[in-house]
Amino acid sequence: MSYLLLAPELILIAVSILVLLLGLFIKEKKVLGYVSIAALLVALLLVLGSFNVKESFIGYPFYSAIVVDSFAQFFNIIFLTVALLVCIASLEYYGKNPSQDEYYFLVLIATAGMMFVAIANDLIVLFIGFELASLSTYALAGFDKHSRLGAEGALKYFVFGGLSSAILLFGISLAYGISGTVNILEMKEFLAAHAVRFESIATLAMLLILAGFGFKMALVPFHMWAPDTYEGSPSVVSALLAAGSKKMGFIAAFRVFLLALIAIKLQWYLAFAILAVITMTLGNVVAIMQNSVKRMLAYSSIAHAGYIAIAFVVIAHSQNAAQIALAGGILHALSHALATASAFIVVAAVGLIYSKSDDMENYDGLGKTAPTTALLMTVMLLSLAGIPPTFGFYTKFVLFLSAIQGGLLWLAVIAVLNSALSVYYYARVIMRMYWGKPKIEKIKEPSAYVAAMIIAVIIIVILGLYPNPISEWAYSAAEAVWR
Amino acid sequence: MYISLILAILLAGSTAAFLSRTREQARMVAVVSSWAALLISILMFINYEPANGLNNFREFYEWIPRIGINYHVGVDGVSLPMVLLTAIVSALCAVYAWGEKHRANQFFALLLLMDFSLIGVFVSLDFFLFYIFWELVLIPMFFLIGIWGGPRKDYSAIKFLIYTHVASVVMLLGIFAIYYFHGKTTGVYTFDIVMLLSAYQTLPLTSFWREFIFAALLFGFLVKMPAVPFHTWLPDAHVEAPTVGSILLAGVLLKMGGYGLFRFLIPMIPNASHLFIYAIALFGLISILYAPIAALAQPDIKKLIAFSSIGHMGFISLGVAAFMAAGAEVPRIFAASGAMFQLFAHGIITSVLFGSAGIIEHHTGTRIIQDLGGLTKKMPKFAFLMITGFFASMGFPGMMGFVAEFSILAGSYPQLPYIVIAAMLSIPFTAGYHLWAVQRAMFGPYNERLGNVTDLTWYEFTAMAAWVLLILALGLYPMPLFEVMHSTAAQFITILPSGGIVP
Repeated sequence: MSYLLLAPELILIAVSILVLLLGLFIKEKKVLGYVSIAALLVALLLVLGSFNVKESFIGYPFYSAIVVDSFAQFFNIIFLTVALLVCIASLEYYGKNPSQDEYYFLVLIATAGMMFVAIANDLIVLFIGFELASLSTYALAGFDKHSRLGAEGALKYFVFGGLSSAILLFGISLAYGISGTVNILEMKEFLAAHAVRFESIATLAMLLILAGFGFKMALVPFHMWAPDTYEGSPSVVSALLAAGSKKMGFIAAFRVFLLALIAIKLQWYLAFAILAVITMTLGNVVAIMQNSVKRMLAYSSIAHAGYIAIAFVVIAHSQNAAQIALAGGILHALSHALATASAFIVVAAVGLIYSKSDDMENYDGLGKTAPTTALLMTVMLLSLAGIPPTFGFYTKFVLFLSAIQGGLLWLAVIAVLNSALSVYYYARVIMRMYWGKPKIEKIKEPSAYVAAMIIAVIIIVILGLYPNPISEWAYSAAEAVWR
Repeated sequence: MYISLILAILLAGSTAAFLSRTREQARMVAVVSSWAALLISILMFINYEPANGLNNFREFYEWIPRIGINYHVGVDGVSLPMVLLTAIVSALCAVYAWGEKHRANQFFALLLLMDFSLIGVFVSLDFFLFYIFWELVLIPMFFLIGIWGGPRKDYSAIKFLIYTHVASVVMLLGIFAIYYFHGKTTGVYTFDIVMLLSAYQTLPLTSFWREFIFAALLFGFLVKMPAVPFHTWLPDAHVEAPTVGSILLAGVLLKMGGYGLFRFLIPMIPNASHLFIYAIALFGLISILYAPIAALAQPDIKKLIAFSSIGHMGFISLGVAAFMAAGAEVPRIFAASGAMFQLFAHGIITSVLFGSAGIIEHHTGTRIIQDLGGLTKKMPKFAFLMITGFFASMGFPGMMGFVAEFSILAGSYPQLPYIVIAAMLSIPFTAGYHLWAVQRAMFGPYNERLGNVTDLTWYEFTAMAAWVLLILALGLYPMPLFEVMHSTAAQFITILPSGGIVP
């Protein structure tokens, strides 16, 4: 049994505590940022190095409560990459903040929480990871204590998050009540055997669990908190929320829900389809009307949650397209995480110039005042819009292809039209950057932000041009779920 | 290796131009790389073997094997003239734009990126690759309109982007469906164009899917061409675009739609249904009839030329429809080769036209025909080149446009007589708006309010003269090009059911 597979999580926890302790003694606290980055990098390399594994930890001491497989590893890559980008950008954002030790502690521990959700094979472990990530991100969202918007966003996030945790736990307790186990695989087997007897209560349990995860995924109608929280939070934290914490909702839903769904054999694809369609349409339509770039990105994230939810629909509808749909879903989760995290970092960079305002007008002429930032932002936005040759195009391509393979032409039509609609608001930002009148002279772009953005954009472009390896990983990850 | 070499040169050139510090470096990079691409495409044209079809200069590398995506390129008699056209127009545009001052490095980088993606569209033999290039074309054009455009550039740029992007994604759905049904039937999931198209007619599709796929692709191509009533993005884009943008837009970008009809829709026409033949013919006819009348009403010479493009592209739809309709082989092949020739001819002719509009605007400060007048007196060299271009566009014998339109009309008449007769009604209007515009702008008393207008600069003259020479040379002796197209059309006709599809 190789406990080494748990090293990434353990490193993060150990270093997070170390950071907190060192923060008491060290004067030059910026060092802690570098320590966190190093820890994340080591964890990321460990995950990348052990990608194709399957370790269920049967027997003492875990009793199958956790499972490290390529599906979990794929999401761990997402979480770690996002946390890495966020920490690099934070070197600048919180470089002078006296309490940055707490900040890095919270980021690391939140990431560890997300990773525990990814490897959980047990609803209790999953819930604890979920709460670990949630509690630390509640604190992160309100990290700028003097910002009114920040306080409002954090409070909303906390209230909605607390409610969703309660609902989730209630759903879990119902599921436990029926099956007598909290182990996801055992629960699946039980439900498969006794589906008819417990159909109504199992349905209720799944609905509650869906609602609990839906808050994190920001699916309509559980999305209300997201725009306010993303807008109010410090931009780097918004990046972590939109790119990391949201994907945690997705892996939890994929793990629990898909298995249960197959077990209960409910024909829920139509319900999912309506949810996905409403989510993407509402996200896109409302995003068009936004004048704040952060709110625009928040609604665009909601729209992307709708796209990823297509994977649920296809899987629920047709077994033979399930693998490609799941692969497309998690690929899109990755591409959206990369592009959105870095786009929020751009907002942070622009916030430096214009006293933290994220008004669309402040992007006027960014192509002249901050040419590197503008160019990188353009690539990110094109990736979000799904325009080739970016990674975002490839992932949408696979996702929409899976809808056709699953025989859901109408869903694919709605999805591509939505995607075409979204080009409008992404292009509007590009237009402002390149043909708006700049209000100030050319500035020196902060190197930490540029570094984080360049890393993200290089990944976006390389994966866009040569998606084969990552796409193979996504397929093997998708296979791992069914096993 | 020719094709990858062209693409590599243009991409490298685009990057180099973007990174170059001065305007002189940027334009030198642009001229050198676009002319290198032109040279290679001429070499390709010389070494082309008509009998080999798509095997000419074919390259194949695996890319994403799991989904069946490959880097697969090659050319045949439809795409090779398009590659040549793109290379000619872009190379001459780089010369024409020699005097560009505003953000020159970005300008030339976008010009080369445009050249790169357009050639990519024509050489791709894999739907994924094809779609990437097809969409990539939008980005440099979006920026060309947006950064160097006129007063209403915001509206035009975004309208262009959204309108054509919607058309592309609808086309993509059709591509997905072909991919899916091919994979389901044969077990081979691939985006390879050659494989998919050759197997397409044998796939057991329901008539709904067959018609959906065809209509989705047709929609994508008709918007690009554009056919009335999907043309509204074009006049806006043209009016606001900088001259080079307009030349590339009308000269090459619109040809993507016409090329799509040949490459994809002819092999995919639902055999049992004649509805689509009439649909394509009627879209062509409406464009042919509507555009000249709309052009007559335009006060802005650039908008007038934009509408003339729509009319000329209508002839291509007509030729394609006539090729598929039932009838004797000789006229059908004739119509198709005429349509292919029109793709090429219109690309060159419209470059002269938009080049003229750009020169008029640049030298006189206005594009409104009423405010011009008597320009022949101040700009004799320009007047000669421009008027030749306008005559070519009108379809004057001895020039390229005549060869193309004559072949289309003559070749279509036996299959679609009424539509051809209706299309002929447009001829007086076409002649009318061309002559009227030339008369008002170029002849008559000189409008003194224009001040002291100078004649062409050397780079403008070089580019314009080269285009005009091509018009005359290939108008008087079209054989080298026409032969390639004719033999390709003769190969293509074997794809269709023998005798064509009975309307």
